Amino acid sequence: MSFVEISNVVKTYHQVRVLDRVSLSIEKGEFITLLGPSGCGKSTLLRAIAGLNPIDEGRIMVGGRDITHLPPKKRDVGMVFQSYALFPNMTVFENIAFGLKMEKLDKKEIRRAVSEMISLIELEGKENHYPHELSGGQQQRVALARSLVKEPTVLLLDEPLSALDAQIRRTLRNEIRTIQKRLNMTTIFVTHDQEEALAVSDRIYVMNHGTIEQHGTPQEIYTSPRSEFVANFIGNYNVWSREQLLHKPIRGIPDRGELFAVRPEAIHISTEPDRTGAQQGIVAEGFISMATVLGNIMRYEIDVQGLQVTVDTLHRPSVEGLTPGAPVYLFVPESEWKCIERSI
Amino acid sequence: MSNPARTARSKGRWWHIGVTSVVLAVLIIPLLATFLFSISTVWQNTILPDGLTLEWYGRLFSDERFLYAIGRSFLVSAVTVVISLAIMVPAIFVVVLYFPGLEKMLQSVVLLPFALPGVVTAVGLIKIYSSGPIAISGTIWILIGAYFIVIMPYVYQSTRNSLRSIHAAQLMEAAEVLGAGKVKAFVFVILPNIMPGMMVASLLSFSILFSEFVLANMLVGGSYEVVQVYLHRMLATDGHMSSAIVFTFFVIISLLFALVLRIGRGKSRKMNATSATPADNEGGVTA
Repeated sequence: MSFVEISNVVKTYHQVRVLDRVSLSIEKGEFITLLGPSGCGKSTLLRAIAGLNPIDEGRIMVGGRDITHLPPKKRDVGMVFQSYALFPNMTVFENIAFGLKMEKLDKKEIRRAVSEMISLIELEGKENHYPHELSGGQQQRVALARSLVKEPTVLLLDEPLSALDAQIRRTLRNEIRTIQKRLNMTTIFVTHDQEEALAVSDRIYVMNHGTIEQHGTPQEIYTSPRSEFVANFIGNYNVWSREQLLHKPIRGIPDRGELFAVRPEAIHISTEPDRTGAQQGIVAEGFISMATVLGNIMRYEIDVQGLQVTVDTLHRPSVEGLTPGAPVYLFVPESEWKCIERSI
Repeated sequence: MSNPARTARSKGRWWHIGVTSVVLAVLIIPLLATFLFSISTVWQNTILPDGLTLEWYGRLFSDERFLYAIGRSFLVSAVTVVISLAIMVPAIFVVVLYFPGLEKMLQSVVLLPFALPGVVTAVGLIKIYSSGPIAISGTIWILIGAYFIVIMPYVYQSTRNSLRSIHAAQLMEAAEVLGAGKVKAFVFVILPNIMPGMMVASLLSFSILFSEFVLANMLVGGSYEVVQVYLHRMLATDGHMSSAIVFTFFVIISLLFALVLRIGRGKSRKMNATSATPADNEGGVTA
């Protein structure tokens, strides 16, 4: 049995099933991410684990304990909210100490644990500051420390970085990951940002319409999407149906499958037919309709007789002739041509 | 050569100063005149008083009836405010956070006092409470009950605004996940954060009740004489004494305002900019 076991959880709001028989299992010390668009049920599931949203059916087990019907205070979970939810009337120290005070711990013990946490989140000297005197990033670190200090069995992070700007976001997500690894804390992270999910998770659960669409390691999710939804959500995949590919200058399309997905960076592009590669694969002809500079990436939109193909290459100065209007040859290795399921 | 932009700015500034001065004058002149009348010996056929004296204040403060009236006003206003906060704040908290569907109903109930003139309320209350199982007509209790209704809109609006501005629902959830029960979360987290708003509500309610006349006069009148009823009786007998009462009354209310605003400011300075501040609530209490 896994450390966290969520089985067949159902939650209905106003006759709409926001969680539809969701099951997942997490090992101790694992960092998993619930990834999906707004309204897919990821936050609802997280809140159900915290006990903030009662569920209609199903079971939630943590560390062998059935917590399905326990009130939040008895679940022994930590939660960090998107808006931090720091207590405005308390200092940094008091905010972090709050959970321990509720446990009626000895004052000395509280002081020691809080000081340890403050040094872990590198906010020494800010103990007596009030939340409004801190930056967004600092506030979120305090929120994290406040949850960690109680040494919860599971740490729940509800889009904790979405209110921060890009630079701090990247730094803080790495810090969260480092702290999580150091404390070997079982963590469930909710986000709608696929890059964030891919960067920090051990495993990702992609959610859509209250169900789990696919789960696996970031590598598996990114390179082998199982459905149209995952392919569209996780990256800039080219998704085509067999009908769309009919009567186009494309050779080597496999016989099986109705819907296909190909990563833009898995497509080789060349101005000469024999430079596309020697392996088995799919070859197409078209012309560049648009070329966009995305920093270290060049993104080409290729028109293959009306079929739009997105191709990403590294932005190297040596590539010549790849300008809008130029005729090009595309090659996709067979292993990169993924058959996927249609999503509703 | 003059700069046209600067000239326009300075013109605007003078206009601003002029309007402010006129408004201030309109507000302050009657008060100054009242004060002057309360310290004048005789002021009848002259522009300025004939002489100055503190005799009226001396007489006023040695009048037991006045001191009792002030004491009664304090007591009835304070007790009402305390009872109202103790009942209304938890009720509003529960409705706003856990039964938002009932908020519309609560809102209609608390706004009723605005729809009913004081006289109508008083007549109705006297009719119900002069006989029957709860015969409290003419006692302090009927006044406290009526005053509770009068200040409901102010307490409601202020508390609700405070709860909204501190995002009370999320603070409660955070506190609960951290191991606090609902009561502890309310006492340790919500209450301290809505305190500035509650202070403002208390002050506003207190000063409204302290100056209330219609209900006090009709419901209890002479049997429980409060300061407004005393003042009303004095108006018919002695102008100087009435002026002294009005000015004393003004000083008391001003001191109260200053005190509570100071407490409110001190609290809100410590808190998050999004939490309840007196300014936030002042806008809302007008309902």
